[in-house]
Amino acid sequence: MNESARARPASSNAEVERSLYEKREKIYPREVHGTFAALRVAAVVVLLGLFYGVPWLRWDGHQAVLFDLPARKFHVFGLTFWPQDFLLLTLLLMLAALSLFFFTALAGRLWCGYACPQTVWTEVFLWMERHIEGNRQQRQKLDRAPWSARKLRIKGTKQLVWVVFSLLTGFTFVAYFTPATSLLDKTLSLQLGPWETFWMLFYGFATYGNAGFLREQVCKYMCPYARFQSAMFDNDTLIVSYDAARGEPRGARRSGVEPREIGLGDCINCTMCVQVCPTGIDIREGLQYECISCSACIDVCDDVMAKMDYPPGLIRYTTQHALDGKPSRVVRPRTVIYAVLLSAVALLFLYLLVSREPLALDIIRDRNQLYRERGGLIENVYTLKVLNLADEPRQFAISAAGIEGLELAGDGVIVDVAGGAVQEVPVVLRASEYALGQRSTTVHFTLRALDDDTVVITEDAKFLGPIP
Amino acid sequence: MEILAKTRWMPMPQRFGAVIWLSFLMAGAATGVFFSILDPDDLRHCVPFPDVSRTAAYSIGFLLFWLLTAASGLLAVTFTYPPPPDMGNQRHDSTP
Repeated sequence: MNESARARPASSNAEVERSLYEKREKIYPREVHGTFAALRVAAVVVLLGLFYGVPWLRWDGHQAVLFDLPARKFHVFGLTFWPQDFLLLTLLLMLAALSLFFFTALAGRLWCGYACPQTVWTEVFLWMERHIEGNRQQRQKLDRAPWSARKLRIKGTKQLVWVVFSLLTGFTFVAYFTPATSLLDKTLSLQLGPWETFWMLFYGFATYGNAGFLREQVCKYMCPYARFQSAMFDNDTLIVSYDAARGEPRGARRSGVEPREIGLGDCINCTMCVQVCPTGIDIREGLQYECISCSACIDVCDDVMAKMDYPPGLIRYTTQHALDGKPSRVVRPRTVIYAVLLSAVALLFLYLLVSREPLALDIIRDRNQLYRERGGLIENVYTLKVLNLADEPRQFAISAAGIEGLELAGDGVIVDVAGGAVQEVPVVLRASEYALGQRSTTVHFTLRALDDDTVVITEDAKFLGPIP
Repeated sequence: MEILAKTRWMPMPQRFGAVIWLSFLMAGAATGVFFSILDPDDLRHCVPFPDVSRTAAYSIGFLLFWLLTAASGLLAVTFTYPPPPDMGNQRHDSTP
């Protein structure tokens, strides 16, 4: 207690640092222990464990999750996605956005406090900083001290650890796009391609800058979500709030004194809530857009309340309605609408995912000639791109219809396509001039798998002829 | 100058950061849409540098998109500021 009573709030700290990004007061968040801190550490371990671990997972002889951009294929465990599946990606992004809306309306900035990469990586960088430079007071003292061999050694160690970790992060990022094992070989033998090197350094530098230096400024000045999340808030949304009715008037007191007798509330004005805040705000001033709902102030205030023998929850997760003494509702138009939209898009996504046809057909007309006449028939030339989206090789039969007596000639109507490959097939359609009613007639190409009649698609094309 | 005194403009580095980051996101989205519709290999015959790999094409495409979105963002942000008073504005103030 005496240590914290002496400590002044971060906002009155006169040490203004000219940082890379802005003139700001450097924030030295105090370490915090408690329920929510444990939750956040758990989230950090799980999320970063997934990020760094997933590229090394194998599935059926290939990397389980690989966004193979050079081959234009995304592998996600047993599924393979093609550029044709772009709609699914769009729906996935919509799902992510709607989930964000739904959970924000329900429980406030859960995303910011526990799951945002900015929070997660900042937490790790802070953890390293704490282990190398010491606790809050030691870090402040070190920054105030003049440069010495010791300061250089400590700061240098921190930078080295940060840079190595950032490079590892950049490597992992690229490992989602280039197979991880070969990327490791190439890295160790210094044979990385120019773009692999570029993205590794780029992502590493972004991690280093965002988590090491910018930190809370990303949330304050750069984050679009921080700006529009208030649109999803209402009086029933969970917020981190200071109970001013219970805490005020704040003030120091000797322990064992009944606060009401000396005209004080429960807040002892120890400023611990300010010291732990990663964005450097005072939660007692009310809800602020800088608050990322990390609930560090809840944990630390509950500790202080316990030491004072006061009930916990002077700062707590609550709603505006609860603070006003009204009942809070979880089910309300806003949450219902978000939930309905979320379920609808999720169902659509699943339906489209399950009902994906494992083949696709692109039809390209010959660019050089509209049509030609041969043997009394009108000929049109096309190139069919047959995409076998399944992992195993398949045979397909091509047929065409749409004009009476339409003939299909070409390299053969049966085509072999390897698993996950594209086969270009030049084909010629022939029709009698007398069967054509107009200059341009729609014809239908049908592609059918020989081993499975349900695997079939039809695409339309134009058949051009002379003006009748 | 009154409006400048009344409004708290975001300092220059923050504005720059906001534009760079948001244009990064938009360039990412644009790159995704563009290259899921167009395969760089199909464009090979109509560009003067046919030797670029797909990876290089994606990367260069993304950087060009980013340049474009960042440029428009920076211009937009610049133009939301009132022009400086000495920028050839000779009009007399009607208020004494």
